[in-house]
Amino acid sequence: MDLPYPRMRLKVGLLLLLGLTLAASLNLLYQSGKAYPDFLKTDPVTIHERRINQIKGALPGTAAVGYVTAVDNEKIFYYERSLFNVEFLAQYILTQYTLAPVLVYNSPDYPLVVGNYIDGSPDVDFLKKNRLTPVRDFGDGLILYQKELKP
Amino acid sequence: MIFLILLSFVISTTIGILLTFIFFPIRKLKSVGLWLRFLIGAPLGMGLTSCLYFLCLLANHSGYIFAIEIMAVLFFFVFIRRGTGQGGVLNPPVILKFKFQWIFPMVFYGALLSSVISFIIATLKEPHGKWDAWWIWNFHARFIFRSAEHWRNMFTSALEWTHLDYPLLLPLSIVRSWRYSGGDSLYAPIFLSFLFTFITVGLIWAALSILRSRHQGYLGGLVLMGSPFFIVLGASQLADIPLAFFFLLTFVLIFIYDRLLEYDRKGLLILTGLAAGLSAWTKNEGLLFLALVMATRFAIMVYAGGWRQAVKEVLWISAGAGPVVIIVAIFKLQLALSDHLFAGMTMQQILSKLSNVHRYWEILKPYVLTGLSFTQGFANIRTGIHFNPGLVNIILLSVYLMLMGIRVDRKDRLNLLNAGAVLLLMLAGHFVIYLISPYELNYHLMTSLNRLYMQLWPSAVFLLFMAARTPEEALISKDVISSGEKNFKNKQRKRGKRS
Repeated sequence: MDLPYPRMRLKVGLLLLLGLTLAASLNLLYQSGKAYPDFLKTDPVTIHERRINQIKGALPGTAAVGYVTAVDNEKIFYYERSLFNVEFLAQYILTQYTLAPVLVYNSPDYPLVVGNYIDGSPDVDFLKKNRLTPVRDFGDGLILYQKELKP
Repeated sequence: MIFLILLSFVISTTIGILLTFIFFPIRKLKSVGLWLRFLIGAPLGMGLTSCLYFLCLLANHSGYIFAIEIMAVLFFFVFIRRGTGQGGVLNPPVILKFKFQWIFPMVFYGALLSSVISFIIATLKEPHGKWDAWWIWNFHARFIFRSAEHWRNMFTSALEWTHLDYPLLLPLSIVRSWRYSGGDSLYAPIFLSFLFTFITVGLIWAALSILRSRHQGYLGGLVLMGSPFFIVLGASQLADIPLAFFFLLTFVLIFIYDRLLEYDRKGLLILTGLAAGLSAWTKNEGLLFLALVMATRFAIMVYAGGWRQAVKEVLWISAGAGPVVIIVAIFKLQLALSDHLFAGMTMQQILSKLSNVHRYWEILKPYVLTGLSFTQGFANIRTGIHFNPGLVNIILLSVYLMLMGIRVDRKDRLNLLNAGAVLLLMLAGHFVIYLISPYELNYHLMTSLNRLYMQLWPSAVFLLFMAARTPEEALISKDVISSGEKNFKNKQRKRGKRS
């Protein structure tokens, strides 16, 4: 014959599992629903893609472009690895993601260079040093540069 | 466009289901068994068609993929064997009714609905998926698709930061669907991630329903859906949930294999190898998993059945894994650039990291904290890894197991040991990778550890419910169960005499 205590223990186990799993599932739904209105029109990838897509028309037949932003190129990955700032890398990745199959090199040393300035403005000295002159300003911090050949 | 994407999934699923009929011809498994065929067949088909697509790409014939796949369907159709075997061989001894049993399906379907809505909201929020989706998986798919015949251009050092050593099951499954539909829409990766997420829930439900009891199946599925990170990661369009699925499928198939002692069941070992092989075609962690599955199965069979049996089984598993491993090898040797974890590492650097005792502690602490918290979501880089157990986690399952007790079928004992050893060795393997990691340790742990845990979570949940006493066993007295078992056995005997 089963003792009352073990049977109770089993029922508690089942109720605990059923109750907590359902509560966790509903809580996720609640949290998702709560944050939903804020996100609806602010999916950052779609916004970036729309921005960067403008530049596509200016790159017919181009296989590779360079890339510059508000920080030095070598700092883009470094900032992310040190968890200091992931935004610069995210913007670079999204530029490559949008422009594929054009290769976007993390370097200013290409005939055409994409300037992406969401966080900060172009560094005039840096542009001068790298002989980058604007070809077209698409607005919203997106500029296409041309690299002047050495005299 | 959506119709054509769905068509690509229908064709890959048909190929997978036909394979299950070829290698697993026992038909009468009742309704859950039919579900099981779909749940096994759909991802296997997807994995196989991605391999096929890779071969077509190599041969510059990817434009003919539709015709090639239709031929594959017809080819497999010819090989279907006539079904054999008795019904319900995998089912638990008896299905008994008890008070309030309606609660189980009600809670399960409630959680399923809630999880589907959460998944949809997460997808609407981030239709391109999370960081790694557009950094790695969807980006690779996009580059290959848009490059058309110049797809090899992706494998250049300029894109090494996108982890070009990662295998192609996911990207090529997406590319294949885009090929069908003629454009790189977001529907394909979204549908793929939805499918893998809920097919994992479905597989755990169906497998536990067949191997233990229907209510045990509901509980297994509930634990997965109650783990918020499982749904969030699924909607993120990364490869971790597909990988978790193939791990789980490998274990499920091997458990079914050991339950079917009286049948010609070597086909199940081939499917097991195929599932483990496809895990290696999904993510690099799958290579370790495949090696461990083979090694532990071999070791356990040497103990349980002798050398000959062990060699035989491992050869059948290899027969399933072999073709996929060859494809992974072609990819790794011909296309993938250096492995991002080991590139440029010298033996001296590795030994110096291995001998640094402080490093062990630095990894062990987040290992424990993440182990208790990973079900809750991605690690927050602002707050770091911290204790956040939430409602459903390893502690809850431990308490549940203590309350319910253990009841393991004799045929499952070795498998539980085998699968448990694989999971622990996987964790140990990841620990060693962290030890020798070239990355800053905190960064590497924070960006990957909870995903590594989640890859193993569905398998761990499955194993736990394979061991835990079922609700039927818990809520119905032993006398009723044993009389039910007797009735069931009598029915089986009568059916056997008639046939």
